[in-house]
Amino acid sequence: MTRTRESFDVAVIGGGSAGLAAAVTAARSGARTLLIERHGYLGGMGTASLVHSFCGLYLLRDEPDAVLANPGFASEIAERMIAATGIGPVRMGRLDVLPQHPVEFVRIADELVAAETSLELRLHTEVSAVSRNGDAWEIGLCGRSGVRPVTAINLIDGSGDAVVAGMLGGGSSMAAAPKLQRPAYVFGIHSNSSMADDSRLHTAGLIVEGVRGGLLPADALGITFRASGRVGEIFASIDLAGGETVSDFDPLDPACLTALELRGRRIATGVIRWLSSRSESWRGAYISQWPGRAGIRESRRWIGEYILTGTDLLAGKRFDDEIALATWPMEFREDAKGPKLRYPEDGRPAGIPLRCLKPAGIDHLFVSGRCISTDHDAQASIRVMGTCFATGEAAGRAAVG
Amino acid sequence: MEVSKKTTSPTPTELIDWLNDEGVLELDWDFPEDGNLAEAGLDSMAVMQLVVAVEDRWGVELGPEDLTKANLATPITLAALIVARTS
Repeated sequence: MTRTRESFDVAVIGGGSAGLAAAVTAARSGARTLLIERHGYLGGMGTASLVHSFCGLYLLRDEPDAVLANPGFASEIAERMIAATGIGPVRMGRLDVLPQHPVEFVRIADELVAAETSLELRLHTEVSAVSRNGDAWEIGLCGRSGVRPVTAINLIDGSGDAVVAGMLGGGSSMAAAPKLQRPAYVFGIHSNSSMADDSRLHTAGLIVEGVRGGLLPADALGITFRASGRVGEIFASIDLAGGETVSDFDPLDPACLTALELRGRRIATGVIRWLSSRSESWRGAYISQWPGRAGIRESRRWIGEYILTGTDLLAGKRFDDEIALATWPMEFREDAKGPKLRYPEDGRPAGIPLRCLKPAGIDHLFVSGRCISTDHDAQASIRVMGTCFATGEAAGRAAVG
Repeated sequence: MEVSKKTTSPTPTELIDWLNDEGVLELDWDFPEDGNLAEAGLDSMAVMQLVVAVEDRWGVELGPEDLTKANLATPITLAALIVARTS
């Protein structure tokens, strides 16, 4: 018996912040759209990796009050998240960020998808192969039942890792390992410990004491804690050592990723054991949630019709074909000294041209999210979820255009 | 050659330069001695870096009890803390 091969107008690889935006946008125009996601839920970094802030949603400004930078999907998500958590944007130093809850993000994504009748969601699915055959892409969908081919006229790579470039055998670039941004490891804690300034500082002192005494690894020094907004729930974030110290660091390699997951859990376990034994306010604290995966900030990027650079961002460069604004400063996390922020001159946002979403020389292919065409420096700005919503929406629109 | 770490304790101005040089904070060249360090980015994460760097530079081990908002408020209070723990 031969089965008719499923065919779509648009296929989106990866259901993170960018892929979700791309797929929902394409489907809203009526295009028959397939969204392919490897986890059992959508949201990517914001859910599987527990990254609990939407950065890049707001303009950089000295005046109080956060102002949304990109209309459309990014603003819609912000509105839905605020309605879900009851928490609005928070000023952190010079920046406005929106605290988000991964559990709510999963539900919001489900509802957005369910509302689109022409959107087909395929969870628990990896892409095993991609090739262009005549006027359509042939895509191998890989699940536990085996590989099943589908076709789509237009393809959007929202994988974060430029997986389509890997399968087509070129057209991408990746920073040398020592420069790649360090991965984030975020986990959930149940604790009634206070998050007031003085107790945070006290906790920081305890961590240093633990490292000094050889009881905690040096990676623990960068740990930060933030109340989730739910009673007794705290998110902790650590930057894991990356290519600056780990030889052969390659965030595309499962062996490397395995080591990251194990290291993240070991550090987290050590920190919580240490704090709960050493401090009254942390007594009884326990780890309540592991991330599904460590948060990779940077890996392979597409080379597109234009390569957005750090120089463009510093100058607040604008483009005739821009599809979104990049408002987050370049946030470098290349070494153990903590984040280094580079702000644009006068705080002006830069445009992201549509050409950054079009891999050079390949028709009917678009890219969204953190693997769009930029250099290493610009990627340090555009990788954040607030911007990924906007590039995802633009890719979805371009694919049906 | 042994380099003594316990050189003279910092003045608030020296501390501002040193914080910049160490990359603990990025302070403007005219950051005031009584400027607000928390607002300049001295959060709990930067504090961990600070404590390690202070130990390297002045041989002073700041403990959890030293790390209060009051002690870390400004270059003046931070320099005073380091001076107090050096002597």
